Amino acid sequence: MTEMQISSARKINWIVHIILLISAVIMLVPFVWMVLTSLKTTTEATQIPIHFFPDAPSLRGYIEAIKQSAFPHYYMNTVFTAIMKTIFPVVFSSMAAYAFARLRFPGSTILFVLIISVMMVPNPVFYTPQYMMMSDLGLVNTVTALWITSLISPFATFLLRQFFMTISKELEEAAVLDGCNPFQIYWHIMLPLVRSALVAIVIIQLQWSWNELQWPLIINSSPEKMTLSSGIATLVSMFGTDYPVLMAGAFMAVVPMIILFFIFQKQFIEGIAFSAHKG
Amino acid sequence: MAKRNKFSFMLATVFTVIALFSAACSNNSTNAPDNSPNNTAGEATDAPKKNVTLTYSIWDKIQQPAMEAIAKEFTAENPNIKIKVEVIPWGDYWTKMSAAAPSGTLPDVFWMHGGQFVKYASGNFLEPITGKVQAGEIDLNNYAADLATIYTLNGENYGVPKDFDTIGLAYNKELFDQANIPYPDDTWDYAKLAETAKQLSQPDKGIYGFGAKLDTQTGYWNDILANGGSILSSDLSKSGYDDPASIEALKARYQMILDGASPTHQQMTDTEATEMFKSGRLAMIFDGSWRISDIDSSEIIKGKWDWAKLPSGKVKRGNIINGLGNVMSAGGKNKEEAWLFLKFLGSQKAAEITAEMGAAIPAFNGTQDAWLTSRPHLNLKIFTEQVADAIPYPSGSESYPVWFAKEPEIMSQAWGGAIAVEEAAKKVAEMMNQAITEAK
Amino acid sequence: MNSRSRYVWAYFMIAPTLIGTLVFWGWPVLQSIMLGFQQSENFGLVNHWVGFDNYVKLFRDEEFWQNLRNTLYYVVLFVPITLILSTIFAVLLNTKIKGLSIYRVIFFLPQVTMPAAAAMVWVVLFAQDFGLVNHLLGTRVAWLSNSNYAMFVLVIVGVWGAIGLNMLLILAGLQGIPKSLYEAADIDGAKRFNKFRYITIPMLTPTLFFTSIILLIGATQIFDSIFLIIGKTNVALPSVRSLVYAYYQNSFVYFNPNYGAAIINVLLLINLVLTGIQFAFQKKWVVYD
Repeated sequence: MTEMQISSARKINWIVHIILLISAVIMLVPFVWMVLTSLKTTTEATQIPIHFFPDAPSLRGYIEAIKQSAFPHYYMNTVFTAIMKTIFPVVFSSMAAYAFARLRFPGSTILFVLIISVMMVPNPVFYTPQYMMMSDLGLVNTVTALWITSLISPFATFLLRQFFMTISKELEEAAVLDGCNPFQIYWHIMLPLVRSALVAIVIIQLQWSWNELQWPLIINSSPEKMTLSSGIATLVSMFGTDYPVLMAGAFMAVVPMIILFFIFQKQFIEGIAFSAHKG
Repeated sequence: MAKRNKFSFMLATVFTVIALFSAACSNNSTNAPDNSPNNTAGEATDAPKKNVTLTYSIWDKIQQPAMEAIAKEFTAENPNIKIKVEVIPWGDYWTKMSAAAPSGTLPDVFWMHGGQFVKYASGNFLEPITGKVQAGEIDLNNYAADLATIYTLNGENYGVPKDFDTIGLAYNKELFDQANIPYPDDTWDYAKLAETAKQLSQPDKGIYGFGAKLDTQTGYWNDILANGGSILSSDLSKSGYDDPASIEALKARYQMILDGASPTHQQMTDTEATEMFKSGRLAMIFDGSWRISDIDSSEIIKGKWDWAKLPSGKVKRGNIINGLGNVMSAGGKNKEEAWLFLKFLGSQKAAEITAEMGAAIPAFNGTQDAWLTSRPHLNLKIFTEQVADAIPYPSGSESYPVWFAKEPEIMSQAWGGAIAVEEAAKKVAEMMNQAITEAK
Repeated sequence: MNSRSRYVWAYFMIAPTLIGTLVFWGWPVLQSIMLGFQQSENFGLVNHWVGFDNYVKLFRDEEFWQNLRNTLYYVVLFVPITLILSTIFAVLLNTKIKGLSIYRVIFFLPQVTMPAAAAMVWVVLFAQDFGLVNHLLGTRVAWLSNSNYAMFVLVIVGVWGAIGLNMLLILAGLQGIPKSLYEAADIDGAKRFNKFRYITIPMLTPTLFFTSIILLIGATQIFDSIFLIIGKTNVALPSVRSLVYAYYQNSFVYFNPNYGAAIINVLLLINLVLTGIQFAFQKKWVVYD
């Protein structure tokens, strides 16, 4: 490389750095503002001209948010719902995905298309009928209603099928000779091979479940049956424009997932990237 | 608890099935599963139901402490009945209730609003209390201003009056003093309000004379009535929004925003008018008697504000009286206990607690005085005095929930300056008339 | 193993997913279609058939067409901007730049942030008097209640939340391009830009296709940010109100689930058509090895 090429490469490097740095700052602004506002007084939060830092950081926002809503319940319900909406889809989808990928059976194509075509349907199409279903089952305003309609995942079925199809058949053939039934092959041999895909799906499901707003908002009304998402949406109706309280609620709602993300960021990012490869 | 166990039972079943099929790779595995899910399967038969927990849903978080105090008192008298007071904010309350009604999951006892009552009563979602009234268990004549009739449909009684509310003019004394303007009093009319609001405004400092907010009960409905207009015709069959007197009143209110005497609609969306008043940036605002303790909790204007009557308009002094009621669900599991609680909510004792805590003006006759003195530093008697000027909340029709939900969407178009006030008012009238026809 | 027992195992293994699909999704789709042809009374406890009445009313409703235009307008702005920015960031991060993993984490952070929580901050940031955005720009624009700007705010919020995930997906796509292609181009003395134009882009098309479908389906369902950031008393609501927002209002606020169902069934049809178009046109631009 000539000197000129090196210096131009360096210049480009600098430009890239600056672009990335500015973008990163923009991406972070909402988080910073959330924390700053949550520590202000109500008047300070809406002061003109604006006040960047709270004069005397106050925890009133947090105290009010906790006092007036059921945060412990929100957390428990959200975590519990997320777990249910992760375990069941992972188990059921991987089973189905394996069957679709490896066991030839009559109607497999049609059934597979039927299942993944659900992905194209806008979610709200399901809400009213699912609501009526929950109503018939007496499950409206229960924690069960939050997850019972999401025990399966067409997305996970689709993704895992792609993975299973890439695995060589030799291992299976040996297992068949050992007298394993298809379920045993799936459970003992195939599942461990797609562990990284399972991690990706666990992460995606956890995140979807954690952030979902509309369904919990529709189906449950009691504060102790709400999730963090619908709980903080309710905070808006309750506190109007008392921004420190709203920001405190928002902060408490996002923190667990962000901590989880920082701890498992490698798995998060690689899991998603990995799923992209095969998707 | 029983519910949680059902989940774990399901989980255990799923995993047992998996364990069964994947047990080992010997030909058609014979080992029986020895890890049975017994830790969760054997439970479920609760002790005979003696203790009951009732859910009591309300929409005002400000009144929660008082409602909890009443519930505590009730439980002291009836130790086997616990009450869970649940706040569902007003903005979500009727959406949630209308979802809960057909699925049979209405709370045991809950606050009812005159506007929504007919819909729930005619759908048979509320338990009639006519029998109890006739049996003399409760005397509906104990309640002020015919409030019990709000919750009567086709001769059946459904609700026990809880409280009533009227609207007042809150003003910031400090801002009046600074401008050397005398405080609002009984002699004020709307022209005086508009003029004073202009004088008090200092937009460059973010201070405004009046919060001309987009609101019905604590907003332009009062203006409309004072100006001789109407919200609904008296037989509830037609909207009054397109009445010229109504339109004039709406225009006058909007004019205050144009004059810079009030913050803009967007400013009052970014910061609620009541919040602005609480932070000392609004000199005057209309607000309901239910907001008293909320406004009084502000450290910034503590001791520097008071109430006056609403200004009088061309025709009279406008005001709206609304009475909330307590009702019980027809589909509740513990209706006997719910009735005991409902009766207690309508008792003098409950009314006294409401009054002393300054939560709301109790409906029970003779307990209002305790409310008047609950905050001696404020001129609360304007709320009871204005009962004489007030008309009942325009409720009582089945179409109310629909048009009331759509009304702000249309009016906000005018308040935001997208269409003329007159046009919006006519659109609202058309929408209301259509809703009324469709509900028939 | 004989094929009969294999069938039994296969049906057994797909059973939970299949039954779940039929019960929780298949049946509701049919129900939703039925609801569109009915009128309910008394909180949905009484239903009677009304044929195409709801659809006739819908197609005559100027507001519906406005909502449809708004939804498509959002899609048309949001999907390409997200794809372009995500691709740019992915390309920038696909170098051996310092701090790569930190940038990845920061860009991904909005993805793990609950939209309901983020929405509240955006309201404060875009407030007219005390908003940071106006403060930094030195303006006094009422971003949220200006019918010209409200949509852009929604797009910004949407893009902010979507870049992280899509950037990662595209980054993975970039890293999947065989190095040998670039090496061969180097030997031929190809320029940076040409390598990008003739190797990177074509090789990336399958990923772009996949992400664009996911983005498109998501974008047509925009609701959370309108519900939480714009709100129902906003003068700009008519110029951003989406089909899903109208569905929610009609079904759960105006107590007319049938009209709501009609709205959402139209969206269902639109989604199927849009996805169909994408699949039909993919041969034109997507390069599979």
